[in-house]
Amino acid sequence: MWQPAVAPTADGAHTMAATGSDVQLRPLDADHSARLYLKRMWARRDFAVAMPLEEIRSTHQNTLLGNVWHLGNPMLSVGVYYLVFGVILDVSRGVDNYILWLMVGVFTFGLTQRTVLNGAVSIAANQGLMRAVRFPRALLPVSVVISRLLTFGFELCVLAFVALVTSEGISWRWVLLPAVLVVHSALNLGGALFAARLNDAFRDVQQIIPFLFRLMIYVSGVMFPLERFISGDGAPPIVRTLINLNPLLAIIELYRWVILGTDLDSRHLVVVLVASSIVLVSGFSYFRRAEHRYGRA
Amino acid sequence: MAAPALTIRVRDVHVDYEVYEDRRAAIRQRLVSRTGTGRSLVHALKGVSFDVSEGDAVGVIGSNGSGKSTLLAALAGLLAPTSGQILVAEEPKLLGVGATLLPAATGYRNIRLGCLALGMARREVDEQIDRIVAFTELGEAIDRPLRTYSSGMRARLHFAIATSVQPRILLIDEALAVGDRAFRAKSKARIDELLASAGTLLLVSHSLEEVRKQCTRALWIEQGILKADGPVDDVVAEYSAGEP
Repeated sequence: MWQPAVAPTADGAHTMAATGSDVQLRPLDADHSARLYLKRMWARRDFAVAMPLEEIRSTHQNTLLGNVWHLGNPMLSVGVYYLVFGVILDVSRGVDNYILWLMVGVFTFGLTQRTVLNGAVSIAANQGLMRAVRFPRALLPVSVVISRLLTFGFELCVLAFVALVTSEGISWRWVLLPAVLVVHSALNLGGALFAARLNDAFRDVQQIIPFLFRLMIYVSGVMFPLERFISGDGAPPIVRTLINLNPLLAIIELYRWVILGTDLDSRHLVVVLVASSIVLVSGFSYFRRAEHRYGRA
Repeated sequence: MAAPALTIRVRDVHVDYEVYEDRRAAIRQRLVSRTGTGRSLVHALKGVSFDVSEGDAVGVIGSNGSGKSTLLAALAGLLAPTSGQILVAEEPKLLGVGATLLPAATGYRNIRLGCLALGMARREVDEQIDRIVAFTELGEAIDRPLRTYSSGMRARLHFAIATSVQPRILLIDEALAVGDRAFRAKSKARIDELLASAGTLLLVSHSLEEVRKQCTRALWIEQGILKADGPVDDVVAEYSAGEP
């Protein structure tokens, strides 16, 4: 017969029933406040960091160059765009150091794209884990953000290398890079949280996201400067306004200001700060409202 | 002596969930029909209430699909009740085998990750990992990716991860004893150890013998309704009589 464990006190007596009431009971689902939810997320921060580390460790571990392959896709994209836009269409006129300008755009846009896409499947792909262990589910998109940031480190190294080689140099503005990364990550996390809940409800979402980003890449000034096309009479004012409100365009311009010393439109700074805050806060609250549904199917 | 402190209070808990025939509904299905094709609503618990106090060892019995495992999942916070309330003194931990962690990572890395997911701090994991690895008896295989494991090896790993924590409120969903005979004996001993240090136990089992041996009290759940709640011998006798 099983005997309950009872902690003996100093005098050897048992303190089994210090209180006979239920005053100490609390609701199991006590995560209704955002503050408590965030507190529980913080308590599991080691998990949120370990998860992406393990993922990176285990992918590519059999290849000779290992994690350097994370650079393969972005570098090849840069090659293709350089050929098409830089050489064939020659849109690079008026852009100093087009290759670095293009790389900054492709790498930073890619960071958002990969984070949102991986974030979308983070809930759907971890059903087993969720069915076994209780933890704030928002940790899954968070660990995606961390994971993508870690691999982005390789891309930053390449940017620094190219900046040095192309006599652009590393200016004092690189000091601001961590701050830009924080703002960018807030935007990415918000997007990942939205995508995760949507994709949990409708699995079609992960098929649609790549096309959304394909559209976005043309209105974010990744491959060619948009200014030339949206100023003047070419574009209706509404299109111009929408493009200027695009937070991806704004964040890329911010990176270019840091790395290339291009002019920074203060409107872009405002757009990126406001948009990141709104996307993060609304994404978090949208995600959390369906917390009880994740891992249920 | 005052009455023992309550550790769990369950009040009129209902749990429903939707079951999709093929994975998850696509937008098409949502648009085409609100009911019918592809999914159905399972009303797994229909208003269950009971209290559990410090020192209780409660067996949960009932036929297949009666809602036993749903009850445990709800108590573990894995399935939120559709209505009703669950109050606890401390977060209950469910011991279940079958979490799929990272198939591409080694057994060792999966243990680390599993323990962190269970809420251990990194330092705690560092302290305990050697013991957990030794427990699995997987030898050199611990450094091979999880996807190369046989189902028996995987079961050992899962068991070792699941039983690495020592919760005060322990929930056990049957068939925890896994692996070959030697390992089964060892896992049984480990469960006994956990039981000894837990203050409250809920055990779902089909083995009436095991429930009798481990528990002082039993809940009989049938079709989502609590049919009986009382001393283990009485409830088990009633349940056995009700069985054809």
